[in-house]
Amino acid sequence: MLEGYLPLFVFLVLCIAFPLAALLVGKALRPSVFAPAKLESYECGIEAVGGARGRYSVRFYLVAILFVIFDVETVFLFPWAVRYKQLGWFGVAEALVFLGILVVGYVWAYKKGALEWV
Amino acid sequence: MDFILLSILKTAIAAPVLLGTLAYLVWIERKVLAHVQLRMGPSRVGPHGLLQPIADAIKLLTKEDFIPSYVNHVYYWLAPWLALMFAVTAISVIPIGPIVEIFGVKTNMGQADISIGLLLILGLTGMGVYGIALAGWSSNNKYSLLGGLRSSAQMISYELPMALAIASPLLIVNTLNLREIVNGQAGYVFGIIPNWNAVGGLQMFSFLIYLICAFAETNRIPFDLPEAENELVSGYNTEYSSMKFAAFFMAEYANIITACSVATTLFLGGWHPIIPNELGGQFIPTLICFFFAGVLFYHALNPARPSDRLSMGVIGAIILGLGLMFQVPVVKDLAQPLFWFASKAGFLIFVFIWVRGTVPRFRYDQLMRFAWLVLFPAALLNLLLTAFVVAAKSN
Amino acid sequence: MNPAAFYPTATDYLRFLPELILTIGGVLLLVLEALTGDNKDKSSLGYLAIAVVLGAMFAVPVALANPGTSFNGMIVSDGFAAFFRMVTLLVGLFTLLCSTSYLSREKANTGEFYLLVLFSLAGQGIMAASNELIMVFLGLEIASISSYVLAGFLRDDKRGSEAALKYFLLGSFATAFLLYGISWIYGVTGATNLVAIRESLAAGTSGNSMAVAAAALMLIGLAFKVSAAPFQAWAPDVYQGAPAPVSGFLSAGPKAAAFAIFLRIFQTSFESFSSRYEPVLWILALATMLVGNFSALWQSNVKRMLAYSSIAHAGYVLVAVTTNSNVGTAAAMFYLAAYALMNFGAFAAVTHLAGRGESHVTIDDLKGLASKQPVVAGLLTVCLLSLTGVPLTAGFFGKFYIFKAAIDNHLYWLSALGLLNSAIAAYYYLRILAAMYMHEPKTTDHPEPVPGGIQLTMWFSAAGILTLGVFPGLVLDYANRFATFVK
Repeated sequence: MLEGYLPLFVFLVLCIAFPLAALLVGKALRPSVFAPAKLESYECGIEAVGGARGRYSVRFYLVAILFVIFDVETVFLFPWAVRYKQLGWFGVAEALVFLGILVVGYVWAYKKGALEWV
Repeated sequence: MDFILLSILKTAIAAPVLLGTLAYLVWIERKVLAHVQLRMGPSRVGPHGLLQPIADAIKLLTKEDFIPSYVNHVYYWLAPWLALMFAVTAISVIPIGPIVEIFGVKTNMGQADISIGLLLILGLTGMGVYGIALAGWSSNNKYSLLGGLRSSAQMISYELPMALAIASPLLIVNTLNLREIVNGQAGYVFGIIPNWNAVGGLQMFSFLIYLICAFAETNRIPFDLPEAENELVSGYNTEYSSMKFAAFFMAEYANIITACSVATTLFLGGWHPIIPNELGGQFIPTLICFFFAGVLFYHALNPARPSDRLSMGVIGAIILGLGLMFQVPVVKDLAQPLFWFASKAGFLIFVFIWVRGTVPRFRYDQLMRFAWLVLFPAALLNLLLTAFVVAAKSN
Repeated sequence: MNPAAFYPTATDYLRFLPELILTIGGVLLLVLEALTGDNKDKSSLGYLAIAVVLGAMFAVPVALANPGTSFNGMIVSDGFAAFFRMVTLLVGLFTLLCSTSYLSREKANTGEFYLLVLFSLAGQGIMAASNELIMVFLGLEIASISSYVLAGFLRDDKRGSEAALKYFLLGSFATAFLLYGISWIYGVTGATNLVAIRESLAAGTSGNSMAVAAAALMLIGLAFKVSAAPFQAWAPDVYQGAPAPVSGFLSAGPKAAAFAIFLRIFQTSFESFSSRYEPVLWILALATMLVGNFSALWQSNVKRMLAYSSIAHAGYVLVAVTTNSNVGTAAAMFYLAAYALMNFGAFAAVTHLAGRGESHVTIDDLKGLASKQPVVAGLLTVCLLSLTGVPLTAGFFGKFYIFKAAIDNHLYWLSALGLLNSAIAAYYYLRILAAMYMHEPKTTDHPEPVPGGIQLTMWFSAAGILTLGVFPGLVLDYANRFATFVK
């Protein structure tokens, strides 16, 4: 068990350290000169109007919800796929029922316009 | 204890290779794009601009890193780190060769060989969205916010067809261990057509869907809306400079490497040669090397510039030696799988760059429509079809 | 292991038939809803939903005729399950009957309402029949998530949205407690099957104090679902803000199902340390009765008052649960059935009387109802009297059996305090009666006719209340027979 995962953890140490080093090492080398303009957020050279923490389209939220629903469903397909040959035709039937319900939900979401961006 | 040493050793080998690949991918991309557009590309720093990545690294390291006021400092720092960390970690479970025996030590080629490798990759690449979403939100810039949002929505939307496209070859190989997935694709249909999932396994639609989703997941053209330079001034990383910007850049390339490696593993038979070894598959790497060496020698004999006489000759000789190495008994076991894996993954990476050079960008609503109304049903249908075929075959 | 050993058999499906019908019906409605245009009249979907619920009701005896566990012990079909399936289905039927006219009045007549009710019912059925903590959780979530949406179904209504959000946030929080308890008990015993947990705890090999902690966590989750004090805070706001038929639905259906799993879990799995949790239940029951009744005294909004009264009634049922005996379980079953009838009857009347936009829901608005709409007033009176616990109504026998069970099990103080509570409760029910009969109407406008569905519901519940008030044995005998669990 451990033998499989150990290299992963060794590698993970590197993966944690490397970005950190990359972010920190430049600190010693690079200049730091203060100028008020550098504190402004970039809007193509024009002074920024208002903050960026405003409202945004509810569509993003909708996509997130749909993703949660369908992604949970697809995740269930992985164990099914791994044991597929042992399950035989029963596996096919189960998947048909499962995906059938998924498709009904999909059709409903489509008909309600949840999948259209505009 | 040996095992820990071995792991550290492997990491020590993999880290510089990976870093080098990441750095030189930028050079390759710029060169290929330039030639697609009939330009020269980087050519000033070193011969053929080969030292360009190093120059870039020095430039990024010494650039001033200014942080606008009103950013959320914690997440602003966290975002590039997370993005790069997840992107690099995912590479660790990819097998680049079978289990080999070198000097009496048996080991797998690749870092970790775990039973749920594929799930781990899916999970880690899925986590990548955090880096981008956090970067977009914490920057307190409208472009960044929009870029981050677009990117998150796009990445999660394309994750669905991708997961479905991955599930269908799993029906055939029935395992989540990446090495066993590759082993399941060994052999040849009728003794000549490779039994890879995308070829002999008839999973070309899954492969296509996966590849399209991989483009979207890595925010590449034609799905690079989050970075759309001409409307969002590079989106989520607008407010990032110096190494933090470089971290996002590297993360993107690391993600491309991961996506192409997974595609190779799942659909293109990993390290298995395209022609059976008995029919001469094992000589292909050597022949290819000889071909390139020949081309280089030709240029050395008919130099366009005086310096070419030396440089072309030396590089040609190196490649000639490399070609011969593929036939040395001990090295062969290691080098041949590596060659096949690298060439397949490399070709896919080339496709990524090629597409960037030729295809225009989608509009955002088209992008989302394409994911939800075309790719998702197609992937679902493909999965069902595969399920039926596999069930009919095995029962 | 050979996967063929886990394949479900036809009997497995028969034992699960009511939920199967509800699910298939719900999915069918979902398709139909999507395929019919947006501006079409959707009340026909409501009738279809009613047909589905009736079909499920007919399936309940079929499931009962095939007793035993199915799907590898996930679901159990016994008399207890059948009883609660029937109660929840009855509540669902009432809800559907009342909501067609309600939804067209509020101009929100879409098919989703009906199918959400169906899905919620399926979840409640699973709760009633679950023999496994995973199924308990699944059923609870299916029932709850549909309920959250139902509570905020009138999405332009501020109160409704507030209700839905509160219900959702607190409900998820409570479910997390339950789930945490489940994972803990799985850690202790290595099982999620109720009987297996019981056996593992009886063997006494693994840390019992950990199991007690797990039981406490699950108790919190379930106490929230049955709106027992101190976890009752959501109930008044939700019942007041939700559409009136939904309030009736929430106060009767999911509550009955939650009590079903409450009883089943605590009397099957955790019976071995009943002495540990009995004092907790004792306090819980008393606190729930007190909070419910005393808060209800000061309410002027009828929906809010009924919400507090439903908290108080949960307290009475908790008294029955505290006895931890078969008699107590039977009393709880009887009470929940009676409560479903009388509470939904009252909510059906409120549904009708509230008027467009639910603008007439205060006690003042009920003034002089007896002279304006004598039939509605009469039927509401029956329900209120039963809620009070007046003899010859179902409510009387419900309380009678509960306190009898409590006294039989030596819970004298709790019974005495409970009886005192019902005396307090009489005050606020009688306030409504007084408003209806002893005051002149505020306005003289002509009353709207009572829609058929609501009329049917009210008549049915009144008839049921009176029948049970005279012949309690009809239900009680059944409850007594099936109040024992497979152990």
